[in-house]
Amino acid sequence: MMGVYDFKVQDIRGVEHELSEYKGKVLIIVNTASKCGFTPQYKELQELYLKYKERGLVILGFPSNQFAEQEPGTNDEVQKFCRLNYGVTFPLFAKGDVRGETAQPLFQYLTAQKGFQGFDETHPVAKPLMESLKKNFPEYLPGDSIKWNFTKFLINREGAVVARFEPTTTPLAMEGEVLKLL
Amino acid sequence: MVKVYTITTCPWCAKVKKYLKSKNVAFEELNIETDDAARDECYRISGDLTVPITTVNGKDYVLSFDKEKLDAMLGL
Repeated sequence: MMGVYDFKVQDIRGVEHELSEYKGKVLIIVNTASKCGFTPQYKELQELYLKYKERGLVILGFPSNQFAEQEPGTNDEVQKFCRLNYGVTFPLFAKGDVRGETAQPLFQYLTAQKGFQGFDETHPVAKPLMESLKKNFPEYLPGDSIKWNFTKFLINREGAVVARFEPTTTPLAMEGEVLKLL
Repeated sequence: MVKVYTITTCPWCAKVKKYLKSKNVAFEELNIETDDAARDECYRISGDLTVPITTVNGKDYVLSFDKEKLDAMLGL
């Protein structure tokens, strides 16, 4: 049976890596925005990473440009520059698709393991995100596919996919679940 | 020679390059994502790894697509 460690991915320089390099670590695998606007989830992911990397947490970021805007409903702060690697120091991989027929095999596997259970309606971005999806990408709504940037999969030290967090769960809100695995 | 430090997916970098071209300003583009030496240089100039950074003398620089500041620095 295929597991997370069987997948190969390319880093941003085109070098191939096997996910078995991360055996024994607690992993967060996340599809990130490939553009460089205001993306608070990058900041929180980096915070989480710095806080727990000594204890064995690794975050693996997969930029994708399959989603038109990055954060519906949060356009109040627009910076006019980009930061190398979005200011994060955890591994970033090559830009690629995460949903649909062209989705990278890793993401096909992850979404098959943990399906879509709906957005957290209490998060302020849930409503504009749902509206944006209905308007721009109605075909994204049905099924277990990745719905938007910053869908996070939590992997335990044995390589099992234990949880999926939608964009409406911020990285810092995942801290308790991460701690259980560390 | 005008140097522009960039990364691959950066709309502001594209804007700076397009603007310089429209003004017939010759420049060298240095991608700090793929070029380690350029990355070090960029950090030395600005103390950060934000782009686009445009510089003429490797000391004074303009961050982002800021037409006014670019015009002033390049005498446009």
